[in-house]
Amino acid sequence: MFKEIFGLFIIFILLVIFVMVGVAFLTLLERKVLGYIHIRKGPNSVGFIGILQPFSDAIKLFTSEQAFPFLSNYLCYYFAPVFSLFLSLLVWFVIPYFTGFISFELGLLFFLCCTSLGVYTVMIAGWSSNSNYALLGGLRAVAQTISYEVSLALILLSFVFLVGSYNLMMFYDFQVYIWMIFFTFPLSMVWFTSCLAETNRTPFDFAEGESELVSGFNVEYSSGGFALIFLAEYASILFMSMLFCIIFLGSDINSMFFYFSLSFLSFMFIWVRGTMPRFRYDKLMYLAWKSFLPLSLNYLLFFLGISIYLFLLLV
Amino acid sequence: MAALKLYSISKIAPQLLRPMTHFSVVCHTRNSYKYVNAAERSMDMKDITDRAAQTMFWSELFRGLGVTLGHIFKEPATINYPFEKGPLSPRFRGEHALRRYPSGEERCIACKLCEAICPAQAITIEAEERADGSRRTTRYDIDMTKCIYCGFCQEACPVDAIVEGPNFEFSTETHEELLYNKEKLLNNGDKWESEIASNIHADHLYR
Amino acid sequence: MLLTSYSIMMIMMLSTIIMMLATMLSKKQIEDREKSSPFECGFDPKSSARLPFSLRFFLIAVIFLIFDVEIALLLPMTIIMYTSSIMMWTIISTAFLLILLSGLYHEWNQGSLEWAS
Repeated sequence: MFKEIFGLFIIFILLVIFVMVGVAFLTLLERKVLGYIHIRKGPNSVGFIGILQPFSDAIKLFTSEQAFPFLSNYLCYYFAPVFSLFLSLLVWFVIPYFTGFISFELGLLFFLCCTSLGVYTVMIAGWSSNSNYALLGGLRAVAQTISYEVSLALILLSFVFLVGSYNLMMFYDFQVYIWMIFFTFPLSMVWFTSCLAETNRTPFDFAEGESELVSGFNVEYSSGGFALIFLAEYASILFMSMLFCIIFLGSDINSMFFYFSLSFLSFMFIWVRGTMPRFRYDKLMYLAWKSFLPLSLNYLLFFLGISIYLFLLLV
Repeated sequence: MAALKLYSISKIAPQLLRPMTHFSVVCHTRNSYKYVNAAERSMDMKDITDRAAQTMFWSELFRGLGVTLGHIFKEPATINYPFEKGPLSPRFRGEHALRRYPSGEERCIACKLCEAICPAQAITIEAEERADGSRRTTRYDIDMTKCIYCGFCQEACPVDAIVEGPNFEFSTETHEELLYNKEKLLNNGDKWESEIASNIHADHLYR
Repeated sequence: MLLTSYSIMMIMMLSTIIMMLATMLSKKQIEDREKSSPFECGFDPKSSARLPFSLRFFLIAVIFLIFDVEIALLLPMTIIMYTSSIMMWTIISTAFLLILLSGLYHEWNQGSLEWAS
């Protein structure tokens, strides 16, 4: 019993630590790639060609002064980033390893719960700072995230109808012969776009529209709080790339290729950031409600029919 | 007399008529105007399907991604600043310096032209007659935090005494260190003399 | 189950510890009225930040609530497919989805999805 608990703890700690290190290097990758897209070099002097930059960033962030806005609702203000990081680390529990980890029968449901809860942290962070910019950023972020969450959940449901289970391991069995991305290409693109909107990434980064709202919901945060929000955002980006690999790209978690495609998808997030300008807010809402939602609902109906057909074929 | 008048009119006539011919020419070109508004979208079946495919498969978005991907493999335009420096024009206006003659005598004759022309009023000069009868400054201060680096002082100077050298790395940690006095300026002149001289030589044709 | 809840607690503790660590490591703490006032481009905030905001955001939240409840009803459908009569299941799920779709189109038609009018 003790050995089991201890082993699981070690694995969890390893997972969390490596997610954090992955996040650290994702920030480095982002700065490098954006740099090269702008025909300049990114960070290139800390350590060997800038490899240690994220660690120096972390040290800098954690040792800089923490401001206490005197109008803020302090307890909410202080714990919103903590909660945010907690959620985006928690969602990593669904990673479908065969042994030594949690076997999640309802993994995708867990994922949906965690991402829905992620809205609250942004909302509380924006509201409790008690600053105009933060409140506006928080409002925008909430409206955007909940809008895209609907289409995200519906797209996910289409695949769940096909696979017939919420278990992420079943996706591997389903995609042994052909990957999902090949026969649901438009839907996979919609999913990717919804992921971009869900993680508040660049074509949809209205939560921190820095040209309008300075930094959006996190203006009042400094040092630790800001670092935690940042970590949470990038951890969720990594998780979304992993989920894309699982749902669309074969989900063969034991092969090296899975991790390459995961890195490539995180690179896609950055690449899109280097390419697209920011959307317009009303267009963002129209895209969610008038384009993605009808599309995913119709696809859901279509996949419902397919799953019935498959069921009748098998039985 | 009338013949003369007629003659003069015939001389002027082309000048009078020229604007008219111009006018007719302009009218002629205006007849075929250029349509600058967005053209009507063609409603052929082929064009409609092309546009639909462009929307469906995001070909414009992917083309944009291709452009940025191409940029990644371009040579970065960065120079590693403290180790590499960009080229400087001989007319570059950097830190000020007071120059000397090769004999070691300072050039400045305290004419105060630079003080007069300085638009930011950054220069303060006090002058006195020296024992040998020559007129020299006793005080020559430049407030580098006021200076706007316009270069008027060096253009006003009749003896090329005050110049703006090629040095631009003179940041300090306090305000006081940027209030230059005569000693500091002369030291600058001694330190950067070779560069300043070569710059003046390179530019002497244009002064 | 116990192990999982322990691990969840561990992650909560970890993130709290990071935050506490940052609070402790923040090397200088100089209290300043200007510094701790809400960020407003250099001047004192003129109005309270707890402003009434655009009703559109609220309406979006209400529509989201409807759809999320419907998604919550859809969620168990895949699993009960294997344990229920396929005929009934087909009829019910198709009818449900069609109602959902027509509801969306109705909302669209009524203009409650318009952002700016």
